[in-house]
Amino acid sequence: MRLKRVLAACLVTSMIFGLTACGKSGTSDKADSSTTKGDNKSYDKIVYSYATFNNIPEASVLDTVEEAINEITREKIGVEVELLPIAIADYTSNVALGLQGGDQIDCFQTLGNFNVAVSSNMAYDLTSLMDTCAPETKELLGENFLAACKKDGKQYAIPTYKPYALTPMIIYRQDIADELSIDMNTVKSIYDLTPVLEQVKEAYPNMTPLIPCQTGDSGMGRTIAQVDYLTDDLFSPKGVLIGDDMNVTDLYSTEEFSKLCDLTRSWYNDGLIMKDAATTTSTATELMSSGNSFCYIASYSYPTEDTAASLEGQCGNVDLGAVQIGDAYLATDSICAVSWMVSSTSKKPEAALKFLNLTFTDKDIINLLIYGIEGRDYVKVDNDYVAYPEGQSAATVPYTAQLSCGTLGNFFLMYPMVGTNLESLAWEEEQNVKAKTSPAMGFLFDSSSVKTEYTAVSNVINQYLPGLSCGSVDPATALPEFINKLNAAGYDKILAAKQTQLDEWIKNNK
Amino acid sequence: MRTVKKKKYRGTAKSGPLLLIALPGILYLLINNYIPMFGIFLAFKDYDFVKGIFKSDWCGFKNFKYLFSQDAFTITRNTILYNLAFIVLGTVFAIFIAILMCELGKKARVKFFQSSLLLPNLLSWVVIGFIGFAFLNSDTGFINNTLIKFFGGEPVAWYTTSKYWPWILILVYLWKNAGYSSIIYMASISGIDKSIYEAAQIDGATKIKQIRHITLPMIKPTVVIMTLMAVGRIFFSDFGLFYQVPMNSGALYNVTQTIDTYVYHGLMELNDVGMSAAAGLYQSLIGFILVVTANAIVRKVDKDNALF
Repeated sequence: MRLKRVLAACLVTSMIFGLTACGKSGTSDKADSSTTKGDNKSYDKIVYSYATFNNIPEASVLDTVEEAINEITREKIGVEVELLPIAIADYTSNVALGLQGGDQIDCFQTLGNFNVAVSSNMAYDLTSLMDTCAPETKELLGENFLAACKKDGKQYAIPTYKPYALTPMIIYRQDIADELSIDMNTVKSIYDLTPVLEQVKEAYPNMTPLIPCQTGDSGMGRTIAQVDYLTDDLFSPKGVLIGDDMNVTDLYSTEEFSKLCDLTRSWYNDGLIMKDAATTTSTATELMSSGNSFCYIASYSYPTEDTAASLEGQCGNVDLGAVQIGDAYLATDSICAVSWMVSSTSKKPEAALKFLNLTFTDKDIINLLIYGIEGRDYVKVDNDYVAYPEGQSAATVPYTAQLSCGTLGNFFLMYPMVGTNLESLAWEEEQNVKAKTSPAMGFLFDSSSVKTEYTAVSNVINQYLPGLSCGSVDPATALPEFINKLNAAGYDKILAAKQTQLDEWIKNNK
Repeated sequence: MRTVKKKKYRGTAKSGPLLLIALPGILYLLINNYIPMFGIFLAFKDYDFVKGIFKSDWCGFKNFKYLFSQDAFTITRNTILYNLAFIVLGTVFAIFIAILMCELGKKARVKFFQSSLLLPNLLSWVVIGFIGFAFLNSDTGFINNTLIKFFGGEPVAWYTTSKYWPWILILVYLWKNAGYSSIIYMASISGIDKSIYEAAQIDGATKIKQIRHITLPMIKPTVVIMTLMAVGRIFFSDFGLFYQVPMNSGALYNVTQTIDTYVYHGLMELNDVGMSAAAGLYQSLIGFILVVTANAIVRKVDKDNALF
């Protein structure tokens, strides 16, 4: 019977820790030595980890790019860099696990998790180093943008410099609009869209007039003007500021929100919005490519013409148009969402920050990171633009991180791809300055005091928001139910905590 | 299972070689399940990246609090009721299939049916989720566009109507798992001595009587062991089934949210190591208690069939 017992014991205990057993991350254990010697001189060695939306290059290819970067950095800042690209889907968890496991990662980026990274103490306090190690970056970004990555007066990260201002727009099929002689320029708000959708539905009964921008997001939330989500986001708002009012407001109790819910519900009942909008996992571009959809609502940081032109390729080369239905609004989270941190475990924070500084100010460095090596991975066209070498594409060149372009260092120093409009770049940089800014710019909410409520409230929001946004549940019954459940989950505690922290912040920043 | 049944292999000398065979599996369990177990204390820590695993501050039961928030009742109810349904229906269906298969004899058609029943088990939940989607989606799905149209009736918005989902989930579960678990019962049925059936036939027992009075009692030990093991996992839910198959639709959470999906949703937002460890510990602990209790009951009723 001993065997039986052993077996049974194994089986019983095997289920313990099914959930917590986490293997070591895919981050390879690279370079334990933080200093290497070369040319009789020693350099500080740092590891720069970034998320890539492209393929992960082979090690030998990565070495060549590393070497090219090191040639510059050795001379300029006396630092050697090791690159650690991680696929976007694994990035956040891999970096967290890597840091837990004691791997060397000196520079890493946040992808919407600034707050978590700071509150779990992953980030090095850069405040005192900014002046000595990254003065150019400090000047480039200015106090306002840097303030968005501060917490308790300490600089924890540097925001990626890119077009921050997202403008809500409708992306639609130009060919169909022309054919039905619909003048999309008359559509100035989401409410003007109904007659257009009806007209499309009538002419093409089998076409879906409106598709979701992504799962459970009809785009209606994007059109509410001047909302500062106060460190949460569009997909899970928990207490927001609207306009210049400094009182933390519950978005779901506002008249605007219930009006929008009624609007999408009427669309749903009339078959104007995709029936499975709340659950479909197809992206807007996929649905557009199928040729059976008319439009979607999304926010982009480019001018309307450019947005439409650049999306055509991803939407199956259909003729697209875009029209603006709201104004861009800048809040803390639009800036700190993608930011660069030096890890709290870094042994060479100065060297790491110096390198980060270069990614914001050195054209050669940032282009090496994004495009790789000239001639092999990309070619220059007309001095201003770049393209992939003849017969190559993003998928076949040895190294490219082109799709990461808005997430590394300074976007405006990157060579534009062929086909980009240079004037738009100027427009985008101008938008960063001109767009309306939230009065709470720079405020960050620390959710650690209401962790328990946060989990429960997020779950309730996941449960109701997609359905309300896409009209698949009836707001007459679901909205009050939603609000009741939120309150039962401790929603008011989160709002109160936000208000307290905000008041404190106002006091310190006046 | 086989080593358990063959009672003649007692004593260390005889079990030595068998233990050797089991060594890779035991090593695997050791590395994969026992060593990570020391992370148990993370559930009681306020995790801090700088301080690291060992030096983070203790925080008592704070990490467990969120498991007992307002949704606790719904998620616990869902987890337990679904698992009970799976255990009962799963066992009944698996035995049913196994008996039918054994009655078919040893021909090519058995192999065919067996393979086709096994096939769903080899599909991942993501794939099954999309097969379900092909049936159920409102715009182009098979049920709304073909079946309901053909018989006449109102199309149903499947992914937002929660009342159908308990049935859909159970159906999908059985479709995926019944074939696989029937194999274990088939093995145990084919181990029954054929002469018993012959004797029964001579005494004039019908097929039904043979099944009721020979097959079922003979496979009882297997059923007990399988059920005990399933009971131990009653607090764990099949994440893929509850997350992928309903396409993570918010409107269905009342009937599809289980402890695992709830924890996943919550921690996607918070990324908190301590809280996930707490959830794991909670599930494991309850599972452990349930196994020990269930086993104690079995031992009381029928000592031979107890697991330990």
